[in-house]
Amino acid sequence: MISIQSVSKAFRPAGGGPPNQVLEGVSLDVPASCLYGLIGPGASGKSVLLKMIVGLLKPDAGSILVDGADVTQASELDLQKMRLKFGMLFQNNALFDHMTVGDNIAFPLRRLTDLPEDQIKSRVMERLAHVALTGFEGRLPAGLSGGQKKRVGVARATITKAPIVLYDEPAAGLDPVTSQKIFELLREEQRASGATVIMVSSDLDRLLTVTDRVGMMYRGRLIFDGTTHEAKTSTEPRVRQFVHGLTEGPL
Amino acid sequence: MAAQTTNPSKGGEPGAFAAFLASIGGGFLSAAQTTGGMTILLARILSRVLRIKVDGRELWKNLYKMAVKSLPIVVVTALFTGAIMVIQAATIVKRYGAEGLLGWGAGFGTLREIAPLLTALMISGRVGANNTAELGTMVVTEQLDALRVLAIDPISFLIAPRFIAIVSTLFMMTLFADALALLGAAYTGQALLGVSPTTFYNGLTAGLLGFGDVANGLLKSVVFGLVMALASCYFGLSTSGGAPGVGRAVNATVVTSAAGVFVLDYLVSFALGG
Repeated sequence: MISIQSVSKAFRPAGGGPPNQVLEGVSLDVPASCLYGLIGPGASGKSVLLKMIVGLLKPDAGSILVDGADVTQASELDLQKMRLKFGMLFQNNALFDHMTVGDNIAFPLRRLTDLPEDQIKSRVMERLAHVALTGFEGRLPAGLSGGQKKRVGVARATITKAPIVLYDEPAAGLDPVTSQKIFELLREEQRASGATVIMVSSDLDRLLTVTDRVGMMYRGRLIFDGTTHEAKTSTEPRVRQFVHGLTEGPL
Repeated sequence: MAAQTTNPSKGGEPGAFAAFLASIGGGFLSAAQTTGGMTILLARILSRVLRIKVDGRELWKNLYKMAVKSLPIVVVTALFTGAIMVIQAATIVKRYGAEGLLGWGAGFGTLREIAPLLTALMISGRVGANNTAELGTMVVTEQLDALRVLAIDPISFLIAPRFIAIVSTLFMMTLFADALALLGAAYTGQALLGVSPTTFYNGLTAGLLGFGDVANGLLKSVVFGLVMALASCYFGLSTSGGAPGVGRAVNATVVTSAAGVFVLDYLVSFALGG
Protein backbone atom coordinates (compact mmCIF):
# COMPACT_ATOMS: atom_id res chain seq x y z
CA MET A 1 0.00 0.00 0.00
CA ILE A 2 1.13 3.53 -0.76
CA SER A 3 0.06 6.27 1.63
CA ILE A 4 0.76 9.88 0.71
CA GLN A 5 0.21 12.27 3.61
CA SER A 6 0.00 16.09 3.28
CA VAL A 7 2.77 16.32 0.70
CA SER A 8 3.84 19.76 -0.52
CA LYS A 9 6.58 20.81 -2.88
CA ALA A 10 7.73 24.12 -4.37
CA PHE A 11 10.49 24.65 -6.93
CA ARG A 12 12.58 27.81 -6.87
CA PRO A 13 13.27 29.18 -10.36
CA ALA A 14 16.99 29.18 -11.24
CA GLY A 15 16.99 32.86 -12.10
CA GLY A 16 15.23 33.92 -8.88
CA GLY A 17 11.63 34.97 -8.46
CA PRO A 18 8.79 33.51 -6.43
CA PRO A 19 8.74 29.74 -5.83
CA ASN A 20 6.50 27.64 -8.02
CA GLN A 21 4.18 25.62 -5.76
CA VAL A 22 3.70 22.33 -7.62
CA LEU A 23 2.13 20.25 -4.84
CA GLU A 24 0.11 21.51 -1.91
CA GLY A 25 -1.11 19.27 0.91
CA VAL A 26 -1.70 16.19 -1.24
CA SER A 27 -3.01 13.18 0.71
CA LEU A 28 -3.86 9.94 -1.01
CA ASP A 29 -4.00 6.22 -0.24
CA VAL A 30 -3.43 3.70 -3.01
CA PRO A 31 -4.54 0.25 -1.83
CA ALA A 32 -2.39 -2.78 -2.57
CA SER A 33 -3.08 -4.50 -5.93
CA CYS A 34 -5.04 -1.48 -7.14
CA LEU A 35 -4.66 0.03 -10.61
CA TYR A 36 -4.86 3.72 -9.79
CA GLY A 37 -5.21 6.34 -12.52
CA LEU A 38 -3.85 9.80 -11.81
CA ILE A 39 -5.34 12.42 -14.10
CA GLY A 40 -5.36 16.18 -14.40
CA PRO A 41 -4.40 19.03 -16.71
CA GLY A 42 -0.74 19.60 -17.64
CA ALA A 43 1.57 20.97 -14.92
CA SER A 44 -0.77 19.90 -12.14
CA GLY A 45 1.97 17.93 -10.30
CA LYS A 46 1.24 14.35 -11.39
CA SER A 47 4.75 13.45 -12.59
CA VAL A 48 6.32 15.20 -9.59
CA LEU A 49 4.17 13.07 -7.29
CA LEU A 50 5.28 9.88 -9.08
CA LYS A 51 8.94 10.88 -8.71
CA MET A 52 8.38 11.51 -5.01
CA ILE A 53 6.84 8.08 -4.48
CA VAL A 54 9.99 6.48 -5.81
CA GLY A 55 12.25 8.87 -3.89
CA LEU A 56 13.70 10.80 -6.84
CA LEU A 57 12.38 14.05 -5.37
CA LYS A 58 11.93 14.98 -1.71
CA PRO A 59 8.84 16.87 -0.61
CA ASP A 60 9.16 20.09 1.38
CA ALA A 61 6.56 18.75 3.81
CA GLY A 62 4.57 15.57 4.36
CA SER A 63 5.42 11.90 4.16
CA ILE A 64 5.05 9.03 1.71
CA LEU A 65 4.75 5.55 3.15
CA VAL A 66 5.38 2.54 0.93
CA ASP A 67 4.42 -0.65 2.75
CA GLY A 68 4.88 1.28 5.99
CA ALA A 69 8.38 2.66 5.23
CA ASP A 70 8.72 6.42 4.83
CA VAL A 71 10.37 7.16 1.49
CA THR A 72 10.90 10.82 2.39
CA GLN A 73 13.10 10.00 5.41
CA ALA A 74 15.10 7.18 3.81
CA SER A 75 18.85 7.48 3.21
CA GLU A 76 20.18 6.94 -0.32
CA LEU A 77 21.23 3.40 0.65
CA ASP A 78 17.79 2.59 2.10
CA LEU A 79 16.17 4.09 -0.99
CA GLN A 80 18.21 1.76 -3.21
CA LYS A 81 16.80 -1.21 -1.28
CA MET A 82 13.26 0.20 -1.36
CA ARG A 83 13.46 0.78 -5.11
CA LEU A 84 13.80 -2.94 -5.69
CA LYS A 85 10.04 -2.96 -5.15
CA PHE A 86 9.46 -0.53 -8.02
CA GLY A 87 9.23 -0.60 -11.76
CA MET A 88 8.79 2.70 -13.55
CA LEU A 89 8.08 3.97 -17.03
CA PHE A 90 9.22 7.57 -17.49
CA GLN A 91 7.36 10.17 -19.50
CA ASN A 92 10.25 10.32 -22.02
CA ASN A 93 10.91 6.57 -21.68
CA ALA A 94 14.49 7.15 -20.39
CA LEU A 95 15.90 4.29 -22.45
CA PHE A 96 19.69 3.96 -22.28
CA ASP A 97 20.73 5.20 -25.73
CA HIS A 98 24.03 3.30 -25.79
CA MET A 99 22.31 -0.06 -25.21
CA THR A 100 20.30 -2.12 -27.65
CA VAL A 101 16.61 -2.74 -27.04
CA GLY A 102 17.43 -6.22 -25.72
CA ASP A 103 20.11 -4.90 -23.36
CA ASN A 104 17.79 -2.14 -22.12
CA ILE A 105 15.14 -4.68 -21.16
CA ALA A 106 17.64 -7.17 -19.76
CA PHE A 107 19.52 -4.51 -17.79
CA PRO A 108 17.52 -4.73 -14.50
CA LEU A 109 17.77 -8.53 -14.48
CA ARG A 110 21.50 -8.51 -15.24
CA ARG A 111 22.19 -5.96 -12.52
CA LEU A 112 19.78 -7.05 -9.83
CA THR A 113 19.50 -10.82 -10.13
CA ASP A 114 21.75 -13.86 -10.45
CA LEU A 115 19.69 -15.34 -13.27
CA PRO A 116 21.73 -17.17 -15.92
CA GLU A 117 22.06 -15.39 -19.25
CA ASP A 118 19.89 -17.90 -21.16
CA GLN A 119 17.00 -17.31 -18.74
CA ILE A 120 17.46 -13.55 -19.00
CA LYS A 121 17.35 -13.79 -22.79
CA SER A 122 14.20 -15.89 -22.74
CA ARG A 123 12.53 -13.37 -20.36
CA VAL A 124 13.55 -10.53 -22.71
CA MET A 125 12.07 -12.37 -25.70
CA GLU A 126 8.86 -13.01 -23.80
CA ARG A 127 8.62 -9.29 -22.86
CA LEU A 128 9.33 -8.22 -26.44
CA ALA A 129 6.62 -10.55 -27.71
CA HIS A 130 4.21 -9.06 -25.15
CA VAL A 131 4.75 -5.55 -26.47
CA ALA A 132 4.73 -6.72 -30.11
CA LEU A 133 8.40 -5.95 -30.74
CA THR A 134 9.76 -9.40 -31.51
CA GLY A 135 12.89 -9.07 -33.65
CA PHE A 136 13.76 -5.62 -32.34
CA GLU A 137 16.20 -6.78 -29.64
CA GLY A 138 19.31 -5.82 -31.63
CA ARG A 139 18.19 -2.30 -32.50
CA LEU A 140 19.29 0.88 -30.74
CA PRO A 141 16.63 3.19 -29.24
CA ALA A 142 17.60 5.93 -31.72
CA GLY A 143 16.25 3.76 -34.53
CA LEU A 144 12.80 3.33 -33.00
CA SER A 145 9.61 5.33 -33.38
CA GLY A 146 8.09 7.10 -30.36
CA GLY A 147 5.54 4.33 -29.86
CA GLN A 148 8.15 1.59 -30.11
CA LYS A 149 10.33 3.35 -27.54
CA LYS A 150 7.33 3.57 -25.24
CA ARG A 151 6.71 -0.17 -25.58
CA VAL A 152 10.38 -0.94 -24.84
CA GLY A 153 10.02 1.24 -21.73
CA VAL A 154 6.97 -0.76 -20.67
CA ALA A 155 8.87 -4.02 -21.20
CA ARG A 156 11.78 -2.77 -19.07
CA ALA A 157 9.47 -1.48 -16.33
CA THR A 158 7.73 -4.84 -16.00
CA ILE A 159 10.55 -7.35 -16.49
CA THR A 160 11.45 -7.66 -12.81
CA LYS A 161 7.78 -8.24 -11.91
CA ALA A 162 8.08 -5.54 -9.26
CA PRO A 163 5.18 -5.32 -6.76
CA ILE A 164 4.72 -1.59 -7.44
CA VAL A 165 4.79 -0.17 -10.97
CA LEU A 166 4.51 3.51 -11.88
CA TYR A 167 3.67 4.53 -15.45
CA ASP A 168 4.06 8.14 -16.52
CA GLU A 169 2.05 8.60 -19.71
CA PRO A 170 2.34 5.03 -21.04
CA ALA A 171 0.40 5.86 -24.20
CA ALA A 172 1.72 9.32 -25.05
CA GLY A 173 2.41 9.61 -28.76
CA LEU A 174 0.83 6.27 -29.63
CA ASP A 175 -1.89 5.74 -32.21
CA PRO A 176 -5.33 4.81 -30.78
CA VAL A 177 -5.03 1.12 -31.60
CA THR A 178 -1.56 0.69 -30.09
CA SER A 179 -2.62 2.84 -27.17
CA GLN A 180 -5.60 0.59 -26.45
CA LYS A 181 -3.38 -2.47 -26.76
CA ILE A 182 -0.87 -0.99 -24.29
CA PHE A 183 -3.57 -0.20 -21.72
CA GLU A 184 -5.05 -3.68 -22.06
CA LEU A 185 -1.60 -5.20 -21.77
CA LEU A 186 -0.84 -3.22 -18.63
CA ARG A 187 -4.18 -4.16 -17.12
CA GLU A 188 -3.60 -7.82 -17.95
CA GLU A 189 -0.13 -7.67 -16.41
CA GLN A 190 -1.44 -6.01 -13.28
CA ARG A 191 -4.16 -8.63 -12.84
CA ALA A 192 -1.68 -11.46 -13.36
CA SER A 193 0.96 -10.09 -10.99
CA GLY A 194 -1.31 -8.42 -8.44
CA ALA A 195 1.02 -5.40 -8.49
CA THR A 196 0.02 -1.99 -7.20
CA VAL A 197 0.01 0.30 -10.21
CA ILE A 198 -0.20 4.06 -10.48
CA MET A 199 -0.71 5.30 -14.00
CA VAL A 200 -0.56 8.92 -15.10
CA SER A 201 -2.24 9.45 -18.44
CA SER A 202 -4.01 12.11 -20.46
CA ASP A 203 -5.71 9.47 -22.59
CA LEU A 204 -8.82 9.30 -20.38
CA ASP A 205 -10.98 7.37 -22.85
CA ARG A 206 -8.67 4.41 -22.53
CA LEU A 207 -7.31 4.95 -19.04
CA LEU A 208 -10.75 4.88 -17.44
CA THR A 209 -11.49 1.52 -19.04
CA VAL A 210 -8.73 -0.16 -17.03
CA THR A 211 -8.46 1.66 -13.68
CA ASP A 212 -9.93 0.59 -10.35
CA ARG A 213 -9.65 4.02 -8.78
CA VAL A 214 -8.94 7.52 -10.06
CA GLY A 215 -7.46 10.67 -8.54
CA MET A 216 -7.55 14.07 -10.18
CA MET A 217 -4.88 16.70 -9.59
CA TYR A 218 -5.45 20.37 -10.27
CA ARG A 219 -2.94 23.14 -9.56
CA GLY A 220 -0.96 20.97 -7.16
CA ARG A 221 -3.96 19.74 -5.17
CA LEU A 222 -5.81 16.44 -5.25
CA ILE A 223 -9.38 17.51 -5.96
CA PHE A 224 -10.89 14.06 -6.46
CA ASP A 225 -10.21 10.52 -5.24
CA GLY A 226 -12.70 7.74 -5.88
CA THR A 227 -13.63 4.74 -7.98
CA THR A 228 -13.57 4.96 -11.75
CA HIS A 229 -17.37 4.88 -11.79
CA GLU A 230 -17.50 7.77 -9.29
CA ALA A 231 -15.10 9.75 -11.47
CA LYS A 232 -17.26 9.21 -14.55
CA THR A 233 -20.41 10.28 -12.72
CA SER A 234 -18.88 13.02 -10.57
CA THR A 235 -20.78 16.30 -10.40
CA GLU A 236 -17.70 18.23 -9.23
CA PRO A 237 -17.47 20.79 -12.07
CA ARG A 238 -13.70 20.48 -12.70
CA VAL A 239 -13.75 16.66 -12.60
CA ARG A 240 -16.83 16.54 -14.81
CA GLN A 241 -15.33 18.92 -17.36
CA PHE A 242 -11.98 17.09 -17.46
CA VAL A 243 -13.33 13.54 -17.54
CA HIS A 244 -15.85 14.33 -20.27
CA GLY A 245 -13.54 16.65 -22.20
CA LEU A 246 -15.97 19.57 -22.13
CA THR A 247 -14.83 22.94 -23.44
CA GLU A 248 -17.18 24.86 -21.15
CA GLY A 249 -16.38 24.86 -17.45
CA PRO A 250 -14.05 26.11 -14.72
CA LEU A 251 -10.80 24.62 -16.14
CA MET B 1 13.15 61.13 -9.84
CA ALA B 2 16.79 61.34 -10.92
CA ALA B 3 17.92 61.37 -7.31
CA GLN B 4 15.78 58.31 -6.61
CA THR B 5 17.34 56.23 -9.39
CA THR B 6 20.90 57.01 -8.33
CA ASN B 7 20.44 56.55 -4.59
CA PRO B 8 19.52 53.01 -3.56
CA SER B 9 18.98 54.12 0.05
CA LYS B 10 15.93 56.02 -1.06
CA GLY B 11 14.35 52.91 -2.60
CA GLY B 12 15.31 53.46 -6.23
CA GLU B 13 17.16 51.15 -8.64
CA PRO B 14 20.49 49.87 -7.29
CA GLY B 15 23.42 51.79 -8.73
CA ALA B 16 26.03 50.46 -11.12
CA PHE B 17 28.50 49.99 -8.26
CA ALA B 18 26.04 47.83 -6.33
CA ALA B 19 25.40 45.77 -9.47
CA PHE B 20 29.15 45.42 -9.95
CA LEU B 21 29.57 44.20 -6.37
CA ALA B 22 26.64 41.84 -6.78
CA SER B 23 28.18 40.34 -9.90
CA ILE B 24 31.52 39.82 -8.11
CA GLY B 25 29.74 38.27 -5.15
CA GLY B 26 27.71 36.07 -7.47
CA GLY B 27 30.88 34.96 -9.22
CA PHE B 28 32.51 33.99 -5.92
CA LEU B 29 29.39 32.14 -4.78
CA SER B 30 29.24 30.28 -8.07
CA ALA B 31 32.94 29.36 -7.86
CA ALA B 32 32.46 28.21 -4.24
CA GLN B 33 29.43 26.14 -5.26
CA THR B 34 31.37 24.50 -8.11
CA THR B 35 34.40 23.78 -5.92
CA GLY B 36 32.20 22.40 -3.14
CA GLY B 37 30.20 20.31 -5.60
CA MET B 38 33.38 18.86 -7.15
CA THR B 39 34.79 18.06 -3.72
CA ILE B 40 31.61 16.21 -2.70
CA LEU B 41 31.61 14.36 -6.01
CA LEU B 42 35.28 13.40 -5.54
CA ALA B 43 34.50 12.07 -2.06
CA ARG B 44 31.59 10.03 -3.41
CA ILE B 45 33.72 8.63 -6.24
CA LEU B 46 36.60 7.76 -3.91
CA SER B 47 34.24 6.01 -1.49
CA ARG B 48 33.15 3.70 -4.34
CA VAL B 49 36.68 3.22 -5.68
CA LEU B 50 38.06 2.33 -2.24
CA ARG B 51 35.24 -0.18 -1.66
CA ILE B 52 35.83 -1.54 -5.19
CA LYS B 53 32.24 -0.73 -6.11
CA VAL B 54 33.05 0.19 -9.68
CA ASP B 55 31.41 -1.45 -12.68
CA GLY B 56 34.21 -3.35 -14.43
CA ARG B 57 32.41 -3.66 -17.76
CA GLU B 58 31.78 0.08 -17.94
CA LEU B 59 35.41 0.74 -16.98
CA TRP B 60 36.77 -1.38 -19.85
CA LYS B 61 34.25 0.11 -22.27
CA ASN B 62 35.28 3.64 -21.30
CA LEU B 63 38.99 2.83 -21.41
CA TYR B 64 38.54 1.61 -24.97
CA LYS B 65 36.42 4.59 -25.96
CA MET B 66 38.62 7.18 -24.28
CA ALA B 67 42.14 5.76 -24.59
CA VAL B 68 42.23 3.56 -27.69
CA LYS B 69 40.09 5.91 -29.76
CA SER B 70 42.28 8.88 -28.74
CA LEU B 71 45.43 7.28 -30.14
CA PRO B 72 45.28 8.88 -33.61
CA ILE B 73 44.98 12.43 -32.28
CA VAL B 74 47.72 11.81 -29.71
CA VAL B 75 50.04 10.34 -32.36
CA VAL B 76 49.63 13.39 -34.61
CA THR B 77 49.98 15.88 -31.75
CA ALA B 78 53.01 14.19 -30.21
CA LEU B 79 54.97 13.67 -33.44
CA PHE B 80 54.51 17.29 -34.49
CA THR B 81 55.23 18.58 -30.99
CA GLY B 82 58.63 16.87 -31.05
CA ALA B 83 59.27 18.25 -34.52
CA ILE B 84 58.34 21.77 -33.43
CA MET B 85 60.69 21.57 -30.43
CA VAL B 86 63.57 20.80 -32.83
CA ILE B 87 62.61 23.60 -35.25
CA GLN B 88 62.62 26.07 -32.36
CA ALA B 89 66.04 24.85 -31.20
CA ALA B 90 67.53 24.64 -34.71
CA THR B 91 68.94 28.19 -34.89
CA ILE B 92 70.80 27.96 -31.59
CA VAL B 93 72.02 24.41 -32.25
CA LYS B 94 73.43 25.46 -35.64
CA ARG B 95 74.98 28.68 -34.34
CA TYR B 96 76.85 26.99 -31.49
CA GLY B 97 77.35 23.59 -33.11
CA ALA B 98 75.60 22.01 -30.15
CA GLU B 99 74.20 19.02 -32.01
CA GLY B 100 75.05 16.75 -29.10
CA LEU B 101 72.67 18.68 -26.85
CA LEU B 102 69.69 18.47 -29.21
CA GLY B 103 68.40 15.32 -27.50
CA TRP B 104 68.58 16.92 -24.09
CA GLY B 105 67.02 20.20 -25.27
CA ALA B 106 64.07 18.52 -26.94
CA GLY B 107 63.66 15.93 -24.21
CA PHE B 108 63.76 18.34 -21.29
CA GLY B 109 60.93 20.54 -22.47
CA THR B 110 58.91 17.69 -23.93
CA LEU B 111 59.00 15.29 -21.02
CA ARG B 112 58.53 17.83 -18.23
CA GLU B 113 56.07 20.22 -19.82
CA ILE B 114 54.94 20.09 -23.41
CA ALA B 115 53.86 16.45 -23.73
CA PRO B 116 51.69 16.36 -20.58
CA LEU B 117 50.24 19.81 -21.24
CA LEU B 118 49.34 19.35 -24.90
CA THR B 119 48.09 15.80 -24.34
CA ALA B 120 45.87 17.09 -21.54
CA LEU B 121 44.42 19.81 -23.76
CA MET B 122 43.79 17.36 -26.60
CA ILE B 123 42.19 14.79 -24.29
CA SER B 124 40.14 17.53 -22.64
CA GLY B 125 38.69 18.52 -26.00
CA ARG B 126 38.02 14.98 -27.14
CA VAL B 127 37.25 13.00 -24.00
CA GLY B 128 36.25 15.56 -21.35
CA ALA B 129 33.80 17.40 -23.57
CA ASN B 130 32.31 14.14 -24.86
CA ASN B 131 31.96 12.78 -21.33
CA THR B 132 30.06 15.88 -20.21
CA ALA B 133 27.81 15.76 -23.27
CA GLU B 134 26.99 12.09 -22.64
CA LEU B 135 26.29 12.53 -18.94
CA GLY B 136 24.36 15.76 -19.55
CA THR B 137 22.17 14.07 -22.15
CA MET B 138 21.54 11.20 -19.75
CA VAL B 139 20.48 13.69 -17.07
CA VAL B 140 18.08 15.69 -19.25
CA THR B 141 16.52 12.54 -20.74
CA GLU B 142 15.98 11.06 -17.25
CA GLN B 143 18.34 8.13 -17.90
CA LEU B 144 20.10 8.83 -14.59
CA ASP B 145 16.75 8.82 -12.79
CA ALA B 146 15.97 5.53 -14.52
CA LEU B 147 19.20 4.06 -13.14
CA ARG B 148 18.25 5.21 -9.63
CA VAL B 149 14.77 3.71 -9.94
CA LEU B 150 16.40 0.44 -11.01
CA ALA B 151 18.24 0.56 -7.64
CA ILE B 152 21.56 1.13 -9.38
CA ASP B 153 24.01 3.64 -7.93
CA PRO B 154 24.93 6.02 -10.80
CA ILE B 155 28.27 6.84 -9.14
CA SER B 156 29.37 3.19 -9.10
CA PHE B 157 27.91 2.37 -12.47
CA LEU B 158 28.56 5.50 -14.52
CA ILE B 159 30.76 8.05 -12.82
CA ALA B 160 33.54 6.11 -11.08
CA PRO B 161 34.40 4.08 -14.22
CA ARG B 162 34.58 7.26 -16.28
CA PHE B 163 36.67 9.01 -13.63
CA ILE B 164 39.21 6.16 -13.50
CA ALA B 165 39.20 5.85 -17.30
CA ILE B 166 39.93 9.58 -17.84
CA VAL B 167 42.79 9.66 -15.28
CA SER B 168 44.27 6.43 -16.68
CA THR B 169 43.84 7.60 -20.27
CA LEU B 170 45.74 10.81 -19.64
CA PHE B 171 48.55 8.97 -17.86
CA MET B 172 48.91 6.38 -20.63
CA MET B 173 48.57 8.91 -23.42
CA THR B 174 51.21 11.14 -21.84
CA LEU B 175 53.63 8.22 -21.63
CA PHE B 176 52.87 7.41 -25.24
CA ALA B 177 53.17 11.07 -26.27
CA ASP B 178 56.57 11.32 -24.53
CA ALA B 179 57.94 8.49 -26.66
CA LEU B 180 56.37 9.69 -29.89
CA ALA B 181 57.42 13.31 -29.40
CA LEU B 182 61.03 12.21 -28.92
CA LEU B 183 60.75 10.06 -32.01
CA GLY B 184 59.40 13.03 -33.97
CA ALA B 185 62.16 15.23 -32.60
CA ALA B 186 64.88 12.72 -33.47
CA TYR B 187 63.78 12.35 -37.08
CA THR B 188 63.22 16.08 -37.54
CA GLY B 189 66.70 16.67 -36.11
CA GLN B 190 68.12 14.36 -38.73
CA ALA B 191 66.07 15.86 -41.57
CA LEU B 192 66.65 19.54 -40.70
CA LEU B 193 70.00 19.59 -38.92
CA GLY B 194 71.65 16.37 -39.99
CA VAL B 195 71.83 15.19 -36.37
CA SER B 196 71.79 11.41 -36.42
CA PRO B 197 69.28 9.58 -34.24
CA THR B 198 72.24 8.03 -32.39
CA THR B 199 73.60 11.48 -31.49
CA PHE B 200 70.11 12.54 -30.48
CA TYR B 201 69.74 9.43 -28.30
CA ASN B 202 73.15 10.01 -26.71
CA GLY B 203 72.10 13.58 -25.87
CA LEU B 204 69.00 12.23 -24.20
CA THR B 205 70.81 9.64 -22.14
CA ALA B 206 74.07 11.47 -21.38
CA GLY B 207 73.00 12.08 -17.80
CA LEU B 208 71.44 15.51 -18.07
CA LEU B 209 67.96 13.95 -18.15
CA GLY B 210 66.81 11.34 -15.68
CA PHE B 211 63.81 9.38 -14.52
CA GLY B 212 62.82 12.40 -12.42
CA ASP B 213 62.07 14.37 -15.58
CA VAL B 214 59.80 11.64 -16.90
CA ALA B 215 58.14 11.26 -13.50
CA ASN B 216 57.60 15.02 -13.27
CA GLY B 217 55.59 15.00 -16.50
CA LEU B 218 53.69 11.86 -15.54
CA LEU B 219 52.77 13.29 -12.15
CA LYS B 220 51.40 16.33 -13.94
CA SER B 221 49.38 14.09 -16.23
CA VAL B 222 47.71 12.45 -13.22
CA VAL B 223 46.89 15.85 -11.68
CA PHE B 224 45.53 17.11 -15.01
CA GLY B 225 43.51 13.90 -15.37
CA LEU B 226 41.97 14.37 -11.94
CA VAL B 227 40.83 17.93 -12.63
CA MET B 228 39.56 17.02 -16.10
CA ALA B 229 37.67 13.93 -14.91
CA LEU B 230 36.11 15.82 -12.01
CA ALA B 231 35.11 18.83 -14.12
CA SER B 232 33.61 16.74 -16.91
CA CYS B 233 31.63 14.50 -14.54
CA TYR B 234 30.51 17.37 -12.30
CA PHE B 235 29.25 19.60 -15.11
CA GLY B 236 27.64 16.62 -16.83
CA LEU B 237 25.74 15.68 -13.69
CA SER B 238 24.75 19.32 -13.02
CA THR B 239 23.18 19.76 -16.44
CA SER B 240 19.72 21.28 -16.54
CA GLY B 241 17.60 22.99 -19.14
CA GLY B 242 17.44 20.45 -21.97
CA ALA B 243 19.69 20.50 -25.05
CA PRO B 244 20.91 24.10 -24.51
CA GLY B 245 21.87 23.06 -20.98
CA VAL B 246 24.05 20.27 -22.39
CA GLY B 247 25.86 22.85 -24.56
CA ARG B 248 26.44 25.10 -21.55
CA ALA B 249 27.75 22.17 -19.50
CA VAL B 250 30.22 21.17 -22.24
CA ASN B 251 31.41 24.76 -22.48
CA ALA B 252 31.89 24.95 -18.71
CA THR B 253 33.88 21.69 -18.77
CA VAL B 254 36.24 22.83 -21.52
CA VAL B 255 36.88 26.22 -19.90
CA THR B 256 37.28 24.83 -16.36
CA SER B 257 39.51 21.96 -17.49
CA ALA B 258 41.80 24.22 -19.52
CA ALA B 259 42.06 26.84 -16.77
CA GLY B 260 42.54 24.11 -14.14
CA VAL B 261 45.28 22.43 -16.16
CA PHE B 262 47.28 25.65 -16.49
CA VAL B 263 46.85 26.69 -12.84
CA LEU B 264 47.77 23.21 -11.58
CA ASP B 265 50.68 23.03 -14.02
CA TYR B 266 52.07 26.18 -12.44
CA LEU B 267 51.50 24.88 -8.90
CA VAL B 268 53.00 21.44 -9.56
CA SER B 269 55.97 22.96 -11.43
CA PHE B 270 56.52 25.36 -8.55
CA ALA B 271 56.24 22.60 -5.95
CA LEU B 272 58.62 20.30 -7.83
CA GLY B 273 61.03 23.08 -8.69
CA GLY B 274 60.40 22.96 -12.41
